[in-house]
Amino acid sequence: MVELSNYLVLGAILFSLGMAGIFLNRKNVIILLMSIELMLLAVNFNFIAFSHYLADIQGQVFVFFILTVAAAESAIGLAILVVLFRNTNTINVGDLDSMKG
Amino acid sequence: MAEFANLVWIVAKIVALVVPLFIAVAYMTYAERRVIGWIQWRKGPNRVGIYGLLQPIADACKLLMKEVVIPQNANRFLFLLAPLFSIIPALAAWAVLPLGDGLVVADIDAGLLYVLAMTSMGVYGVIVAGWASNSKYALIGAMRAGAQVVSYEIAMGFALVGVLMAAGSLNMSEIVHAQQGPFWNWFWLPLLPLFIVYWVSGVAETNRLPFDVAEGESEIVAGFHVEYSGMAFAIFFLAEYANMILIAGLATILFLGGWYSPFHGIGYLGPIFDLVPGTLWFCLKAGFFLFGYFWFRGTFPRYRYDQIMRLGWKVLIPVTVVWLVVESVFILTGFGPWF
Amino acid sequence: MIELLLFYVFAAVLLFAATMVITAKNPVHSALFLVLAFFNSAALWLMAEAEFLGIALVLVYVGAVMVLFLFVVMMLDINLAPMREGFARYLPIGALVGCVMVVEMALVVGSKDVNLIHGGPVTSAAEGVGMSNTKALGSVLYTVYAYPFEIASVVLLVAIVAAIMLTHRRRPGTKQQNIDRQVRVRKEQRLRIVTMAPEKRK
Repeated sequence: MVELSNYLVLGAILFSLGMAGIFLNRKNVIILLMSIELMLLAVNFNFIAFSHYLADIQGQVFVFFILTVAAAESAIGLAILVVLFRNTNTINVGDLDSMKG
Repeated sequence: MAEFANLVWIVAKIVALVVPLFIAVAYMTYAERRVIGWIQWRKGPNRVGIYGLLQPIADACKLLMKEVVIPQNANRFLFLLAPLFSIIPALAAWAVLPLGDGLVVADIDAGLLYVLAMTSMGVYGVIVAGWASNSKYALIGAMRAGAQVVSYEIAMGFALVGVLMAAGSLNMSEIVHAQQGPFWNWFWLPLLPLFIVYWVSGVAETNRLPFDVAEGESEIVAGFHVEYSGMAFAIFFLAEYANMILIAGLATILFLGGWYSPFHGIGYLGPIFDLVPGTLWFCLKAGFFLFGYFWFRGTFPRYRYDQIMRLGWKVLIPVTVVWLVVESVFILTGFGPWF
Repeated sequence: MIELLLFYVFAAVLLFAATMVITAKNPVHSALFLVLAFFNSAALWLMAEAEFLGIALVLVYVGAVMVLFLFVVMMLDINLAPMREGFARYLPIGALVGCVMVVEMALVVGSKDVNLIHGGPVTSAAEGVGMSNTKALGSVLYTVYAYPFEIASVVLLVAIVAAIMLTHRRRPGTKQQNIDRQVRVRKEQRLRIVTMAPEKRK
């Protein structure tokens, strides 16, 4: 029998992995975006698990909205990334030190 | 023990579905060459076996014997994985397609969504193949195919939204049940614009002529699978044809009443035609769509890439959106025998 | 029993994929591992009876968002060497923070003071209202959450407009039709009427 704590621990490990990814890949914007996706996924795991074990559909509604916003976020993030690469020819976070566009 | 028996039963069902599917794919290549030959006033394959009927088997043997060449500097692992990426979704989607009343591997509630999800994964095979080959023609072909498939998926998804509004269910069997009756009860009539949009985007989704710029022999050699040979190429080939049969089967279920005979429920005609097994009707209707594929290939010249994108975004998607509004008015007013 | 086994298999693959996402050398590999992670999450969500969301995750993320990621990663010609700088330097602190967070959360989940439900759910969320998961979700989404739903659609619209505005450009030096200017053209701009004496045959 899969218990609630199984899902919660899985979500916790996934979230920590996403966060460790931000520490490890400080230079690469693309991997940073992917790490954010991992963290959002972990949050969704908790919502789904609680929704399942409390027999309440509202948790899934939240996941629905998180998915929507995360999709919009990654679309805009990638668009900014492409423009950035076009203008500066790099996506290294260390080189992005100018305030002027 | 009961669980184990259940597992064996499921595997048996899958095998019973996949084996005929592969045979159908093999003979579709034969049928295509014969039909194209007929359209172009020539004979087509007619040497191996009677009427060339053993030609697909000969082709399969030839491809099996050939060496799979892996280009230098290619990403070996992904290069070999890419054909699997393209064939697995094409086969997995078949799990929810009912071939007859109750004749389905998995009768799940969200069947239509599942099919959409599976078909949307087919694009990975193309993209990964193009990237892993480390060749510019392959990469260009992959980019073209990726952009095209993702764009046409939107039009296709909207067309399917129309079907699920009309049927009131995402379950494939229930969608067919909602179309019970003679051929004017099927959804192709009230949803005619969506039907046409679905068909066009189905052709584009499978990268078939006239939308095959992803392969475009005259421009980029063979597109994403230019570096593939032998069995790896054969799997791409199988995946393309399995996808075509899938699109045809879906069109049959969603718009042409699945396993129902065209005269179901008409006076004396109905019972006579109901004697023909439903699966045969399904195959006949799907065969009609597949013939359409060959017919298009023999008739239309290839579109230019920007024309394809314009057709997808500026024609098909607006048409579907408008027709969804019209359809909701139909549903609210209870129009015709359909709603 | 089989259920628990499946859970552990999917969870193990998911965690492996997530680890590879953050440690892979090539961003294309990272993106493909993220696809694997999403796919396994979808399977786990199906096990938690969130069918609609599980399939929607595959449809939206695997089918669309990750394709976008792959496109960007493949098209940008990135010099990878400087990107990996500092990976080894930050590895200890990254691992430390990660471990601390896992331990903290595990302590919370495992503590006696938190009354977690043990065993399976009483009824599933959808069965509680007597319909399929998709229908149950839709019936809440279009009634109770109608306004948030509208706002979410506006968010998506804004995202579409913003992404197109950001990346759309006219390349200098390419030949393009300007329909606006074509329509506004006056006769005087194109046509010059000259009067000249008729030529005589010699």
